[in-house]
Amino acid sequence: MNHEATRTQKPAFAHLIWWFLFAQGGVIAAILIPVHVLVQGILGPLGIVPVVDRHYDTWLRVLSNPLVKLYLLVLIALPFFHFAHRLRYLLVDFGVPAAKSVPAQVVFYGGAVVVALVTIWVLLTTAPISLG
Amino acid sequence: MKAPPTTAEAATSAGASTRVYRPEMARGWWLAKRHYFLYIVREFTALPLALWLLWFLVEIQRVSNGPKGYYPHSSPGFVAFSVIVLGFALYHSYTFLSLAGVIIHIKGVPSRLIVLSQFALWLVASVVIAAVLIGFAR
Repeated sequence: MNHEATRTQKPAFAHLIWWFLFAQGGVIAAILIPVHVLVQGILGPLGIVPVVDRHYDTWLRVLSNPLVKLYLLVLIALPFFHFAHRLRYLLVDFGVPAAKSVPAQVVFYGGAVVVALVTIWVLLTTAPISLG
Repeated sequence: MKAPPTTAEAATSAGASTRVYRPEMARGWWLAKRHYFLYIVREFTALPLALWLLWFLVEIQRVSNGPKGYYPHSSPGFVAFSVIVLGFALYHSYTFLSLAGVIIHIKGVPSRLIVLSQFALWLVASVVIAAVLIGFAR
């Protein structure tokens, strides 16, 4: 009986993690991404407003702040757990049932994990951490 | 006591000639109705947003090239790409934050107010982030 209970708890816990990441990734993408695209992707390159990433000095100073690193990790990595789920089911909707398989899950969610690891690596290797 | 159901379905599934149900959707089904199309657009927003974030990560990585090697994304192509991505981003925000009224239930609080609070949070966060991105540029 107990054995049965622990066996059924395991997938439920995994589901909780993936659904939490899916939901949080969606919230982060919804609330944070549009303003970054508008300011850094359009207004900055067009020279309408000065933007921190336009110059090396200002960008380096901001990037070396550990809080900024943490923020950028959340901004960049978390949405990929949302995207992975959506794109996997988009394939299912377009008639690719293989996207439901375990290998497909490994590829998509594993891809999100890889993006998270690469983001951590980039943030830790580009600008040395300093509080100044 | 109720007798177990003996429907045709149960009979065939127990029999030797088991048939597997294969749902089939015509190619281009999502173009048949406006609602389907908008659903697919909503799911598709993930792709342009993902590409923009990866491109942003490339820009961050360029900082390791030093002051002479660093250059931000500036090409007209990047701006055009960002305009398209912004459209998808706004659609994701609109659809996702509207869902909050369905997901979050607080007794006595109408769901419209919850949705409104999500949009207010989005507005405040956008203003703060824009202020930081522009304010630290000097």
